Amino acid sequence: MSAELIKVTINGTEYEVDKGRRLIDVCHENGYGIPSFCYYGDLEVQASCRMCLVRIDKMPKLQTSCTISCTDGMVVTTTSEEIEKAQRSMGEFLLANHPLDCPVCDRGGECELQEVIFDWGDVEERFAENKNAKAEKYLSPIVANDPQRCIVCKRCTRVCHEWMGEDAIEAGNRGANTVIGTYGGWLNCSQCGNCIEVCPTGTLLDGTYRHETRPWELDQTVSTDPYGSDGMQISIGTRGGKVHRVVARDRYVNGLNGEFLDVKARFAHDFVCSADRVKTPMIRYKKGGKLIPATWDDAIAHVAAKFREFGKNVGVVASPRLSNEAVFTLKRFAQEVVKSDSYAVSDVADQAPFFNNLSAPLCTHKEIRYATTILLVGGEPEEEQSFTAKQIRQAVRNGGAKLIVVNDTPIRLVSSASQFVHINPCSYDAFVAAFIGGDKSAAKKAGIDAKEIDAIRKTIDETEGEFILMVGGELSANAQAALAGTASKFGGENRRALLHPLPRYNNSVGAHDMTAGRKSVEEVAKDARALLIGGSLQNASIIDGKDFVVVQELFLTDTTLRADVVLPAASFAEADGTFTNNSGYVQRVRQALEPLNQAKADWMITSLIAREMGVDFGYNFAATAVFKAIADSVAAYEGLRYPHLKDESRPASAKYEIADRDVADALKALSESAASLPDETEKISETPKIGHKLHRLTTMTSKTPQFHLLANGNPKPDSLFVSPLVQFNLDGTKRESEAAA
Amino acid sequence: MEIKAIGCEPLQLKRMHVKDGHTLKVYQETGGYKSLKKAVGMSQDDIINEVKASSLRGRGGAGFPTGMKWSFVPRQSPKPKYVVCNADESEPGSFKDRYLLERDPHAVIEGMIIAGFALGASTGYIYFRGEYNYLIHIVDAALEEARAAGILGDNILGSGFSMNIHTHTGAGAYICGEETALLSSLEGFRGHPRMKPPFPAVEGLYASPTVVNNVETFTSVPQIIEMGGTVWRDLGTEKSGGTKLWSISGHVKRPGVYELPMGYSDMEKFIMEDCGGMLRDDKKLKAVIPGGSSVYIMNADQILGKNVTLDYEGLVEAGSMLGTGGMMVMDETVDIMESTKNLTEFYRHESCGWCTPCREGTDWLVKVFNRIADGGGRPEDAQLLLDICDNIEGKSFCPLGDAAAWPIQSAIKRFPEDFKKWINKF
Ligand SMILES: Cc1cc2nc3c(=O)[nH]c(=O)nc-3n(C[C@H](O)[C@H](O)[C@H](O)COP(=O)(O)O)c2cc1C
Ligand code: SF4
Ligand code: SF4
Ligand code: FES
Repeated sequence: MSAELIKVTINGTEYEVDKGRRLIDVCHENGYGIPSFCYYGDLEVQASCRMCLVRIDKMPKLQTSCTISCTDGMVVTTTSEEIEKAQRSMGEFLLANHPLDCPVCDRGGECELQEVIFDWGDVEERFAENKNAKAEKYLSPIVANDPQRCIVCKRCTRVCHEWMGEDAIEAGNRGANTVIGTYGGWLNCSQCGNCIEVCPTGTLLDGTYRHETRPWELDQTVSTDPYGSDGMQISIGTRGGKVHRVVARDRYVNGLNGEFLDVKARFAHDFVCSADRVKTPMIRYKKGGKLIPATWDDAIAHVAAKFREFGKNVGVVASPRLSNEAVFTLKRFAQEVVKSDSYAVSDVADQAPFFNNLSAPLCTHKEIRYATTILLVGGEPEEEQSFTAKQIRQAVRNGGAKLIVVNDTPIRLVSSASQFVHINPCSYDAFVAAFIGGDKSAAKKAGIDAKEIDAIRKTIDETEGEFILMVGGELSANAQAALAGTASKFGGENRRALLHPLPRYNNSVGAHDMTAGRKSVEEVAKDARALLIGGSLQNASIIDGKDFVVVQELFLTDTTLRADVVLPAASFAEADGTFTNNSGYVQRVRQALEPLNQAKADWMITSLIAREMGVDFGYNFAATAVFKAIADSVAAYEGLRYPHLKDESRPASAKYEIADRDVADALKALSESAASLPDETEKISETPKIGHKLHRLTTMTSKTPQFHLLANGNPKPDSLFVSPLVQFNLDGTKRESEAAA
Repeated sequence: MEIKAIGCEPLQLKRMHVKDGHTLKVYQETGGYKSLKKAVGMSQDDIINEVKASSLRGRGGAGFPTGMKWSFVPRQSPKPKYVVCNADESEPGSFKDRYLLERDPHAVIEGMIIAGFALGASTGYIYFRGEYNYLIHIVDAALEEARAAGILGDNILGSGFSMNIHTHTGAGAYICGEETALLSSLEGFRGHPRMKPPFPAVEGLYASPTVVNNVETFTSVPQIIEMGGTVWRDLGTEKSGGTKLWSISGHVKRPGVYELPMGYSDMEKFIMEDCGGMLRDDKKLKAVIPGGSSVYIMNADQILGKNVTLDYEGLVEAGSMLGTGGMMVMDETVDIMESTKNLTEFYRHESCGWCTPCREGTDWLVKVFNRIADGGGRPEDAQLLLDICDNIEGKSFCPLGDAAAWPIQSAIKRFPEDFKKWINKF
């Protein structure tokens, strides 16, 4: 797609630009600052703030540069007396009813309105009338709202509609009485907080951060979301050794996700500085006894001595939440220290079969946004890979892409789909056998008509541009292998086939990459007598009765209950490292805080044990050295170094092997598995509730009190003027005395 | 309340005084649906050419040539096309459409079907302002009659052309008369205007080609088809064809709806003679808003003895605009500061709130007016009002902003004493 180049003259200088580019973008790129509020690159044009006025020759009136597409020979003036008067007058209008309470506004210092006005410096204030008063309130446990500050740019409502597909907020009333409001007075949405992020003023506010700090007092550290596999880039705001907030604001971070985050990435960060963190190493000297605090030296010596006893019978398990550095070091521990191949990753939705059978490249999130056809088999991205879901929605909504959803549940994304293939519960094997293997009887077992499969094929055959096959992590190994292994066959002359996995955890992909040749957790748990576990297990009961268990953890969990030694690990915010996302981007996790209490980075803990046992991994205790070791040993990461990962706006990719795959065995197994399915089953007809996974209380999210209210039905309080946390107990029941007092 | 034609045969007002003129029977007895019969025998291009030849300009206020608007609609379209009748008549001072809808609904329907046939649109909507809800059963009954008679629905009059028309009421918002806001409202969204381009003729209702015309525009169409475009045009002037309805209110003896040929001469005669002159003989004419509230207010000097012709060009020359032809006449008892304040309150109330200058500007203007009315006027207020208007005018998203600014700008310019008086009062 080579766009036609045309000539545009801006303030007397001629520029060559792609035809049809938006004038405001062209001006900004060439250094002509034009104030704007409602314009937001990733949203439909609104043209309501009237701030971006410029003069274009041969056009009557001033024109809004956000609505103008460049045409050949266009002559533009961006500064003149007339333009300045117009722009200043918009500033004056916006300030008319805007309270001048910047000193107590959480947005003060980051407010786009404040900045534009301050840039002029001398805006005359002629408005001497009473301002329209509106009360501050809460819209949810997460979203606070000061309606007086609203400039009605409607970025928030557009984000809610276009990005989230949720339509939870909309403008109400008219004219100067316009307010941004909710349906029923309370926000029952996924609470992504993107409306807060894109709000240029202090109208929509982070309810978990109210009045905690001034933004300029925060240190901003660019890092990666510790929850989801999309690898969203975040900026961690810290002050005085505490994480105060997480944002994706353009001014601090420019990752693949732009300013998009979800509720967990943005708000569930209280776990980092939680009082419940494991503070010191702890040793359970006697089975059934208590965990007793110990010094690091004692704990490491104790562990090393015990592990030496068990020799090859030590198994190692890494959580897919850990950094590449941590997982890699754990694997080395197994291979080089205890010299066993008994290592595993505790990922319940392991996508190894997908990655081991790649026949087409992984797609980037940008490619999703501009795809022509997307086939989503399994998964529930709107609850698990929320940025992927946003890109899918926009591909359909703004790009006219076709989405085909194959699922046993009518997930919310179905509303964006042009075709929904509603299969029987847990019959993905049958679907894949039918779709890839052409097994007709399997289609029946999947509860679908052969015509539905024909329709999918027809859509793919008619696709020009990019076809993306997304594969859910809950699919069986054979189903994943068959899909990933045949994806390349869907390519064509004008069509490129791409793959996109839907892993469950922030570093599922990296953990897979670090641990080639691993075993399953169950196998390792069964075979080993002693275990070194980084993080916790989804099902801790599998380690019942083991002789000696060491757990590197942030919190006391089901797994540490069974541990003989617990070693306090640093959270993602306290250690350097990398996560690899679902498009293969290897992205930095950066230390934003000194490790809390006595915590240490996971890879460091493991290395200390190794050293005590006589093996020096040679890291010199720097994460960058661990990463170099990774790059030297993992083929897909060859040549990568931290300096290459510096700029989050240009992420580096792991290079996976793409080849023709033989999936005959997988298909045979799928057909057999399909045959064993019942002929008739009842389909799942209920669409899962919004937030049923996002709002779930987990070890990490439960440390943020607001999540308890979300998980408990997000009850609407009697008063919107007081924080819901004051009015409810964490279980969602009404709090009696205190609220009354 | 007077309803009559002056200087021409009643065309728009033909059935105003005919008993049961709103019924199909009487409509047909008085020549109704003849034009439709003729139209379905014509080619689409011929119909559009007749409308072009008629110099019919849209009666909704903007005065855009109707034939030209129709010709912007793509002939071939993969999407359905729509014809929408704008019956939102909310312009203060304008009340002509309501009589057409009430007493001659079949003329509206006939005009819409002809438009539908000419444009290849098989669905039509009539969008009523919320306050015209009481008219809807009349129009619904007329549609039902037409359907039963094979005039509407499948295979209209055996022509092979099929079309249906539906009625819809808004919730009573002035802005929903603006065509793109009307379409948003019709689609079920908030009544906000949309960006133009794309214009509705290309991307209108449900992003499909759509023609939006005023009630009176549609009722003109059967006349044009019946008598031929040029004949109809010659009832009026070269550039302003045909006849036009005027809604007269205020301080005249015989307010009402008048049909005048375009180019009627002159405005003074019309007010002073045809409408019976000033309501109170001892009170002099002070001001006239000739085209609905959104046009410049005129003072007596611009009218008396000035031979102002009543058509688009004549009123522009005289320093105002024809707009919707909603003429408001004020005698010397009216304080123009107060009347302008009243209008500004209207615009503040009706601003949809989409864009900054209109939303905040009208709010500010009203606050300044209120302060002046409460005795807090300041010497710099007139200048302030003018500057606020200047900052709204030409910068708002839709023309409502301009419409709010113009009355104030012209009032301060043409009636400075009425403002000075308030400032000096205390
Ligand atoms: C604020 C505003 C209000 C309007 N209200 C009406 C109205 O009530 N009725 C109407 O016919 N046109 C109204 N218009 C004009 C319409 O936008 C549009 O021009 C008209 O319906 C086109 O029909 P016409 O070409 O037949 O006049 C309004 C325009 C604006 C800007
Ligand atoms: S709340 Fe913020 S984003 Fe939404 S319209 Fe108001 S100022 Fe804009
Ligand atoms: S000028 Fe702006 S605020 Fe006023 S009605 Fe039009 S779009 Fe709405
Ligand atoms: S940025 Fe162009 S109108 Fe708001």
